[in-house]
Amino acid sequence: MSTTLQVHQLAKSYGAQHVLDGVTFEVPQGEIVGLLGPNGAGKSTLIRSIMGIVKPDAGEIRLSGQPWSRSAVQGVGYLPEERGLYKDMRVGEQAVYFAQLKGMQKADAVAALRTWFERLEVEGWWDKKVSDISKGMAQKIQFICTVVHRPSLLILDEPLSGFDPINARRIIKEVRALAAEGTSVLLSTHDMPSVERLCDRVVLLNRGKVVLAGPSESLRESGWDGTQEVLFKGTDMAFTVALGALAHLDALEPSSVEGIRKARLRLRSGVTPAALLSALMASVDIVEFIKVRPTMESLFIGAVERAKDSETPAAT
Amino acid sequence: MNARLVGAVILREWRTRVFKRSFVLGTVLLPIASIGFMVGAVMLTESSVVRNVVLIEDAPGLITALDVSSGQYVPRCPGCFPERENLVYHFTREAPTDSVWKAQGHTVLVEYDESILQNHSGYLVYEKSPGGTAKRHIERDLSRAMEHARVRQSTELDWSAYQRLKMELTLFDRGIEDGQRVQGGGDEVRGSIGFLFSAVLLIVLFVYGGVILRSVVEEKANHVVEVLIAAVEPEDLLLGKVVGLGAVAVTQLVAWSILSSMGFVVFQSLYDSGALGVAAAVGSSDVPVDLLTVMGENGALVHLLNINWPLMVVGSIAFYIGGYLLYGSLFAAVGSSVHSEQEGQGMVFPVTMPLMFGYFAATMVIENPDLPILEWLGWFPLTSPVIMLVRMASGVALWEVVASWVLLMLTARLVLGLAGKVYRFSVLHDGSRSGWQLLLHWVRGNGQ
Repeated sequence: MSTTLQVHQLAKSYGAQHVLDGVTFEVPQGEIVGLLGPNGAGKSTLIRSIMGIVKPDAGEIRLSGQPWSRSAVQGVGYLPEERGLYKDMRVGEQAVYFAQLKGMQKADAVAALRTWFERLEVEGWWDKKVSDISKGMAQKIQFICTVVHRPSLLILDEPLSGFDPINARRIIKEVRALAAEGTSVLLSTHDMPSVERLCDRVVLLNRGKVVLAGPSESLRESGWDGTQEVLFKGTDMAFTVALGALAHLDALEPSSVEGIRKARLRLRSGVTPAALLSALMASVDIVEFIKVRPTMESLFIGAVERAKDSETPAAT
Repeated sequence: MNARLVGAVILREWRTRVFKRSFVLGTVLLPIASIGFMVGAVMLTESSVVRNVVLIEDAPGLITALDVSSGQYVPRCPGCFPERENLVYHFTREAPTDSVWKAQGHTVLVEYDESILQNHSGYLVYEKSPGGTAKRHIERDLSRAMEHARVRQSTELDWSAYQRLKMELTLFDRGIEDGQRVQGGGDEVRGSIGFLFSAVLLIVLFVYGGVILRSVVEEKANHVVEVLIAAVEPEDLLLGKVVGLGAVAVTQLVAWSILSSMGFVVFQSLYDSGALGVAAAVGSSDVPVDLLTVMGENGALVHLLNINWPLMVVGSIAFYIGGYLLYGSLFAAVGSSVHSEQEGQGMVFPVTMPLMFGYFAATMVIENPDLPILEWLGWFPLTSPVIMLVRMASGVALWEVVASWVLLMLTARLVLGLAGKVYRFSVLHDGSRSGWQLLLHWVRGNGQ
């Protein structure tokens, strides 16, 4: 699989403050990569470096295998967190202008925009003034302006802010569709559920450094601490006896369904889920046997906390 | 520079303003308002014209004599009282009481005694002021009549001999160029033309500089900037903005010129046809009706024709472009560094001070175009746009014009680059600083 964006050892400082410190990661073609990090982690500087707004001090950025250039950035769609539209222009006229700035010919831009306007059901707004439309509508127009030139790389900074749940779902659907068509997406957000729903990979920045990176599923898998959730029919005594020394029981309580009990437990070292399941099935009726992997949010918090601990000098 | 992107920015700036209702209204209404003002001024002038019947009480008998045939006092020097519009003279040796001379139809009484020849003063008596123009005419006519009387009293000469002996010296200017004597003079006439050109430039710079500043501030407030500078280099963006708004200025000036000319033609035809009810009155006056006649009488036309007009026209366009680009870039830099238009206005004064200084210095060029300090100001890019316009009208070597302009354009290019850097820096900045603070922060190298 080819790589749309490669960032290698990127560094940027403002005075003594190292905003980016040897950042390295990739965005493969057609994948959605979540760029996560607490406030001040360097996400905006990283994105601005990719877009050529900030000049990095060191490191390399390659777009579709080519060294960074202004013309290569034309193939990137960028939706910044701080975004807006010209209030005194008409919606269609403005969208055409932004498309032209991205290198499209006017006729092509109009045709592509008409298609997108229909796709997002905003075709009736073409001749309206921006000052006459709602914030949510304006957000949709901004999204269209970002994707109309069929970029090979989409950089979306908090793309769902300002959207109601229905329109947020629509935008997620469009982002997925674009990725399926081969567009790579770098998604910067604090909205962890959308990261879980959307991202194939994540890159976690903290204090200008990558502290966690990889495919989302792998990260969640590797972060799994053996926690299982078991829904069963039977007595608590039979369940705990069957559990024996295979797992540590964290909680045992009635489930929402009458007659079904719910247990949360952690496998002991060297015990596989299959071994535990067969042991339990001999004593109780298993309704559900669920592997509880960590959420992106807990991975995020854990990684940030670990990074903080490693930077704090040990107490003497 | 990416010409295609700059072109797109220029077109946006032009389209969004020229097709605005307020622009169309402003462009159409200003010439209409100007013509209306002109019509109003003419009508006001005409309505304010008062017919004055002046009774001169020549008690000492200095300027009048009794005409036996008519039994009326008449001036000894009839030529001293030329026929004037709305001004009629009657003469007497002893005026009746105020109520009587007024009842006789006189509006003004002039009275004096023998001492007038020494102290040069008398009285102008009226119920309603005859107006400044009438007063000046009366003073001038009486002065000539008194001069006539003094000549008669104190010399053996008659009036016509005195007139012949009077001497008013005229020195014709002869300049030396390349060792040859050539016609000189007319500095003030030519300088005034240059000054007029520089005044128009000054107005354009202030009006459209303000528009540039507002446009940049609005773009920042709209949060459009980050998307823009991700697509276009800030320098290209500002160039497009400055040029686009310059195109708006040209569009407006051309539209005003055309509409004003059309309006003036309509006004002139209405005026000539008497539809305004004033044509006859003004048409028959002794005031020359057109500017060329006036200039011809003053010899100004000769000096105007001495201006190197091809250089003046081409040079003016060049310096308008250069001056606009330089100051437009400065206004853009100011707009980039501030959060609001109001804050920007506070920074405009120091930025435009050199321009104002140049403008006032231009008045000195009119008086003395060869002062060395003015030559230096003609080289200094921040003052050269206004100084060179006046110097070109007064006469300056072509190489100086070209070199000064090249220097101006190079400076404009440099300032545009710096404005682009300020623009980029201000977008990235957290917003805690603005204006001079931000610029200082940037200059100290706290930017990227």
